[in-house]
Amino acid sequence: MIEVKELTKTYKVGSDIIKAVDHVNLEVRKGEFISILGHSGSGKTTLLSLIGGLTKPDSGTVKIDGIDIWSISDNDLSELRNRKINFIYQFASLIPTLNIIENVLVPTAFRPKDEPINYYEFAMELLDIVGIKDKARSYPAHLSGGQQRRAAIARAFINNPEIILADEPTGDLDEETEAEIMDLFKRMNQTKGITFIIVTHSSDLARQTEKRYRMANGVLKEET
Amino acid sequence: MLSVMVVAATLFSVTTVMDSVETSIEKGTARLGADIMVVPAEAEAKAKTALLAGEPSTFYMDRSIEDKVRKVKGVKAVASQVFLQTAKYRCCDVSNMLLIGFDPKHDFTIMPWLSKELTRPLGTDEIIMGRGLTAYDVGSKIKFYGKYFEVVGMLEETGMKFIDNSVFMPYAAMKKLAEESKHKKGVKAANLPIDKVSTVLVQVEPEISPQRVAIFIEHDIPGVKAIVSEQVISSVRKQLFVLLRSILSISIILWIMALLLIGVVFSMIVNERQREIGLLRAMGAKKSNIFRLIMTEASILSIMGGIVGIALGGTFLYVFKGFIRASLNIPYLWPSAAEYAVLVAGCLLLSFLTGAVAALWPAIRSMRMEPYEAIRRGE
Repeated sequence: MIEVKELTKTYKVGSDIIKAVDHVNLEVRKGEFISILGHSGSGKTTLLSLIGGLTKPDSGTVKIDGIDIWSISDNDLSELRNRKINFIYQFASLIPTLNIIENVLVPTAFRPKDEPINYYEFAMELLDIVGIKDKARSYPAHLSGGQQRRAAIARAFINNPEIILADEPTGDLDEETEAEIMDLFKRMNQTKGITFIIVTHSSDLARQTEKRYRMANGVLKEET
Repeated sequence: MLSVMVVAATLFSVTTVMDSVETSIEKGTARLGADIMVVPAEAEAKAKTALLAGEPSTFYMDRSIEDKVRKVKGVKAVASQVFLQTAKYRCCDVSNMLLIGFDPKHDFTIMPWLSKELTRPLGTDEIIMGRGLTAYDVGSKIKFYGKYFEVVGMLEETGMKFIDNSVFMPYAAMKKLAEESKHKKGVKAANLPIDKVSTVLVQVEPEISPQRVAIFIEHDIPGVKAIVSEQVISSVRKQLFVLLRSILSISIILWIMALLLIGVVFSMIVNERQREIGLLRAMGAKKSNIFRLIMTEASILSIMGGIVGIALGGTFLYVFKGFIRASLNIPYLWPSAAEYAVLVAGCLLLSFLTGAVAALWPAIRSMRMEPYEAIRRGE
């Protein structure tokens, strides 16, 4: 389903050229639950952004369901992201001027207008699943870091994505919340068949996934 | 929003005043009905002051001039008027008002502009009033030189004080009033010279210019000055528009500054919201969605600024309307509802364009950002 071939991305920092992603090859089947382990600056976040079509590679290809995402138009890529992929970030990614339910509904604003889905009810359901239904009308500033992260996770599922790309989704959260979130991911993976690629520096978290990769200096290797 | 508000307020006020003056000058000229005003040569300045500022003043010349003017080449119609300034000596007599005696037989300057048509001739104790004398209306009684007159007609407002603040009566009635005032006890006799007129109003043939006819009049009749209405009006227009043009220039400079300011502010907003824009793109927003988002925000803010500015400008004009009229001392008539609507729409359009033009580059820049870079830089 996700097919990454010879993917390379370099950055220029002053006069130095840094290879953030160095000829990476990766295949992820539909419904797989994988993790990419690596230290800060190893290139794992860049790889996740390349897979999600947020930044263009210098070379190589990313195919999702057989579509080379860098060969299609920007509009088509936006639609593909909206329909199939969603991201969970390591930082609080909510829009501060919108309340929680509005934040969760943001991705639906870019869906076709004639969809016969009651996204509001679904959003409330998702907030219930992540345990913050009572905070639907609150603004992000009035929520704790953990609650904000839960809201962002609820938002990630609102469009029924096929792929979740999570970048340190439990970073700076306590163990209990981390466990709850991982349980939720596993449940979504098993019940809805959503593919998960989780980027982390935590070996403990990586151990909870079916397949693990390690990334160092832009090079990706599968862990056995 | 604040900068658009200031620009909208200034532009709205200035354009409203300019439009008001222009309208009243045009309307006033039309209402005056005359292309040329013939007055005694030495009374030119007084006549212009009376015409434009409506200040009561009296001057006279021989009545025979009316016939002489009638014979000048290019003259189509002639109507004479006699000015008489009221004087107060007893209780309840109205003072310092300009009474204008006219000849109903030849008149083309008063009767056609009555707000309600009068189908019968005016009696000797009946008058017509300018709309500026707001204390009176049709049916009111007013006392001049110890004699009561009934107001039987009101003229439509022109914005020209000469017309709006004067009282009109047939010359015969004025003559009778002057005669009677001589025999009334405690009343100062009206000083109305016999067989004199104050001004001869002239309508010229359509194929000849008023300027040319004025030259003929001054050439053929010694001791008179032929004031061409158009020239008086254009000199006022020129004087006033120099002032208003300066204000307008300042408004335009303010507008350019507002454009730059909004541009800078929106660039800063876009920089501050890079992460948000990147996140929206990651959630499936197209470039066009981002462009529309920034442009809509800019347009809403600038239209709101425009609305507040217009409201402030309008309030300023409303609160200081008396002061503006008094200090300008020129013909002034507030615009009609339709003209106001056009001015408001124009100012709103300009406000919208200000926001839209200023936010265009920041919107294009935000649209072109690569989502990953936007998210990273915004961290």
